[in-house]
Amino acid sequence: MSTASQATVDRRRSTSEIERSTPAWRRRLTSDRAARVAALLSFLLVWVLLSLLFRRVPGPVEVVQRLGEEFARGEVFGNFGSTLYRFGIGVALATVVGIAIGVLMGLSSLSRAFFESPVLVALSIPAIIWAFLTVMWFGFGDLSPIVTTFLTSVPFVVVNVAQGVRGVSRDLRDMSSTYHVPVSRQVRDLVLPAVAGYIAAGVRFAIIIGWNGVLLAEWFGGGGGVGYRARWWYDANRFGGFAAWVVLFVGFIVLLDRFVLDRAIRRAFRWRDS
Amino acid sequence: MAVLTVKNLAKTFNLGTPRASRVLDDITFEVRGQTFVSIVGPSGCGKSTLLNIISGVEEHTSGEISLTSDEGRPARMGYVFQDPRLLPWRSVLRNMMYVQDDQGEATVARARRYLDMVGLAKNADFYPGQLSGGMQQRVGIARAFAVEPDLLLMDEPFSHLDAITARGLRAQLQDIWAQSKKTVVFVTHDVVEAVELSDRIIVLQPGGRIYEDIGIDLPRPRRQTDPTVATLQAEVLARLEAMKELGRTTEPVA
Repeated sequence: MSTASQATVDRRRSTSEIERSTPAWRRRLTSDRAARVAALLSFLLVWVLLSLLFRRVPGPVEVVQRLGEEFARGEVFGNFGSTLYRFGIGVALATVVGIAIGVLMGLSSLSRAFFESPVLVALSIPAIIWAFLTVMWFGFGDLSPIVTTFLTSVPFVVVNVAQGVRGVSRDLRDMSSTYHVPVSRQVRDLVLPAVAGYIAAGVRFAIIIGWNGVLLAEWFGGGGGVGYRARWWYDANRFGGFAAWVVLFVGFIVLLDRFVLDRAIRRAFRWRDS
Repeated sequence: MAVLTVKNLAKTFNLGTPRASRVLDDITFEVRGQTFVSIVGPSGCGKSTLLNIISGVEEHTSGEISLTSDEGRPARMGYVFQDPRLLPWRSVLRNMMYVQDDQGEATVARARRYLDMVGLAKNADFYPGQLSGGMQQRVGIARAFAVEPDLLLMDEPFSHLDAITARGLRAQLQDIWAQSKKTVVFVTHDVVEAVELSDRIIVLQPGGRIYEDIGIDLPRPRRQTDPTVATLQAEVLARLEAMKELGRTTEPVA
């Protein structure tokens, strides 16, 4: 005699059903934006705690006060503008030269053999050495920070782009050769879009490393700028003023990355989202 | 007038090394204008290598290849690959324009005309990722025809598609070919497909030699359901079976 067994139904819910049944506050708390806000708040909390524990660590309120004072003295726009000008030229040059050398290294084994060792050497030289050298070579002025920014950041663009070019689909390159597509068009329409992600990564590295370079060159070379002003406060043993300038430039880099680079990358890759 | 002449062509990979292997041996044939020639044979007999050598992607070891154009300019070639090979970041129309010498309005209009022929006129601004595999392959076919080639090479273009899509595309290819009358060299391992599409079938045997050159004299358009087509397909299949048997009882050719 058979006994009727109870059927177990494992019904899976659809994503829209799950979304509908999750309260709005919970969705907000588990969103990417909430994670970003949480990271910022955690950072501020750690900063406040450190400033309470150690006398020589200025707290956020003091840093903002010092920054306000710098604005009132009229020091911010001139110095920040100088740094931005030097940094912008250095990174732009590094991007253009880095892409050109990277594409050459990716496409031709002869170019790779030629550039491999110099790029490796450039990668291994720290920004502080370039800062010393350029100040010795070019003295105090715009040229030292520009060249330091360029020299510290260009190898990162080269390495990223070369790696990207070598990864360009062999099938698409063969297709282009079969149809005798001119090399200039292959570079513009096949290679560069294919390595856009690598270029973006390279430029991001260039910005971060170049920032080190420009500040160090200004620190040692004088002639105004964020690095120069930060050192002025450091020499005066006033860490609040020193930190104010660091916060100003870090804030600028974060905003640049989020609102310019990030958007440019998303625009370049809109075909992938389609 | 012959469009493609291949004479005593041979190809050996890793020549001069202990790993040397000859994949094509003494291949000689001619393809005249406005004909559809298929190259069939078992896997590994050198069909795709032969096509790559004709296209210039691969170098040949010995022999001669010449391509003739009637219009006093270098001969143009189109190529339909096994996979569509489209640039994913360019729209369908811009993919077609990527391979064109001339980028003018007339060329755009021609590209649109071929897109219309393969039924994708409304998808010109789509990215490849927004199309199915079959639609992408149709773009590949339209792209190849739109360069107005003197010689069109096709390397198993339907082998990655499901049977229904492949059948639809074969019918579409026949229609476009009937209108354009391009010279086509079509590689396939599918004898049924070859009989349906071709004026001539060149059979390659393992070791990369030509086993047989079969003329297909049937009216067009052809459909697999047509009894005369089916009979000829069975006959060609039987000949290939015979070649296979022969290969078992004789020394390898290579």
